[in-house]
Amino acid sequence: MLILSVESSCDETAVALVADGRKILADEIFSQVALHEIYGGVVPEIAARSHLEVITYLADRALDKAGMSRRDIDAVACTYAPGLIGAVLVGVNFAKSAALALGVPLVPVHHIRGHIAANYLAFPDLTPPFLCLAISGGNTMLVDVRDYTDMAVLGRTRDDAAGECFDKSARVLGLGYPGGKPIDDLSKQGNDRAYDLPRPAVHGGDPYDMSFSGLKTAVVNIVHHAEQTGEPLDKAGLAASLCRAVSESLVGRTMDAANALGYDRIAVAGGVAANSRIRADFEAACAKAGKRLFVPPLRLCGDNAAMIGAQGYYELLAGHTAGSDLNAYATKAL
Amino acid sequence: MLMLALESSAKAASAALFEDEKMLALSIQTSGLTHSRTLLPMAEDILRNTDKKPEDLGLVAVSRGPGSFTGLRIGLAEAKGLCWALQIPAVGVSTLEAMAYGGPVLDGQMLCCCMDARRGQVYNALFTVEDGKPVRLTEDRAISLPELEKELIASQEPWILLGDGAQLCYNNLDREKVALFMAPEPLRVQNARGVGLAAMDREPVSANDLLPAYLRLSQAERQRLETLEGK
Repeated sequence: MLILSVESSCDETAVALVADGRKILADEIFSQVALHEIYGGVVPEIAARSHLEVITYLADRALDKAGMSRRDIDAVACTYAPGLIGAVLVGVNFAKSAALALGVPLVPVHHIRGHIAANYLAFPDLTPPFLCLAISGGNTMLVDVRDYTDMAVLGRTRDDAAGECFDKSARVLGLGYPGGKPIDDLSKQGNDRAYDLPRPAVHGGDPYDMSFSGLKTAVVNIVHHAEQTGEPLDKAGLAASLCRAVSESLVGRTMDAANALGYDRIAVAGGVAANSRIRADFEAACAKAGKRLFVPPLRLCGDNAAMIGAQGYYELLAGHTAGSDLNAYATKAL
Repeated sequence: MLMLALESSAKAASAALFEDEKMLALSIQTSGLTHSRTLLPMAEDILRNTDKKPEDLGLVAVSRGPGSFTGLRIGLAEAKGLCWALQIPAVGVSTLEAMAYGGPVLDGQMLCCCMDARRGQVYNALFTVEDGKPVRLTEDRAISLPELEKELIASQEPWILLGDGAQLCYNNLDREKVALFMAPEPLRVQNARGVGLAAMDREPVSANDLLPAYLRLSQAERQRLETLEGK
């Protein structure tokens, strides 16, 4: 079963070909980071314009790389939510007209389900059920993956996503956009106890809910205070303290949930899974607790279309297809 | 050859099917639902109702702008998907030209095609009609109402106003100095029939080369340039 998959929910345009939900035959990505850098963040209109310009080139390249023809395609999958609406619309409308023209099923895929499915591409022996922490620039949620298409959200951020906290902190530290990697790099030279940053407790709602806006504000205040008083700012120490605070918020809750639900397998997904402190802390916690940890390689952590093809395969098997009236959504429950 | 035409640059969405020069079907929807939900089902329906299949298509024509940025991208992304999958070429048609082709094309008429571009401007192009076809007098441009008024007065011609900016021009331009007439309502706004007719006079391109003509930068780019110029 060969799936052509499309991802355009934020600032990466991607087209992939995936066999049986597990094998990547082609995985083409065009990153728009250079287009948005001067604005200090993703500009939705610029993102949507760029997606439209490159999408067919990527589809051509995917076929070339895989050595496949259009006739080999059994279904077309696309991210239909959540994301920047103008951006998601480009991928959805390209995908649904391609599916109509090829006479094959159209499979809408939730972007976060796609991130979780990146683990199926990286780990052939991983099958549900397992616990997954999905952490990216726009989303932070802890998910009980009961089956490939049966999931329950155990907790989520009440405000900013973990990635947003890194991006905004990087911005005030003058590290540019996107902020995840420069913060990670800088943190390696710093003392993670240099600054005492808050670990917000979240009351009410789901027991595993998280919050990162207070942490972000604390970083902003420390930087502004240093600027105003002329006191020296230990940037590396602040980056290391921030990584520690984010990691402790995430790892602690995830381990608690795994213990409570009796899971011995924990997966991490999304762009923030690339953070080395979070990876190291999860490795240590899982080793200590005797649990197996799954973290996809860096390329599959960020936005890509292969993960959409992986999840698309299981959505298709479950009969989750759509017609040519499929719309795109900025937000949508998992 | 079978050609599908798509139009989604403004409030209405429409799809038309042509066999050579003949229009087989036209579907228009002004429900206010997003074009992302309505445009492709209209195309699918007219293909089914005319007993045609997507693989029978030889060409896809689509409005490339100006117009609603999101609306344009929905039509263009769908055109790209069809053309890429079927390996057929596309024609991107100026929305204003599609409006003229779908309008009252009586020889000698002067057509002033206008879309409300906000910020005190209209997207506009001027045409005359020869041998039943619009002939361009200006490029597509974003122009202020006073500038447009100056040009129309200088022409010393009567003008027929088309487009969703027609009423705006009719109400705001000095009709004592230039004779203005509103195009009859069914011929006033762009639809896929005009897109198809305009496409017949244009060279097709590949799906890769099918690109929008927004006529305006994104707000972030405009603000950045204004800041840079201010300094």
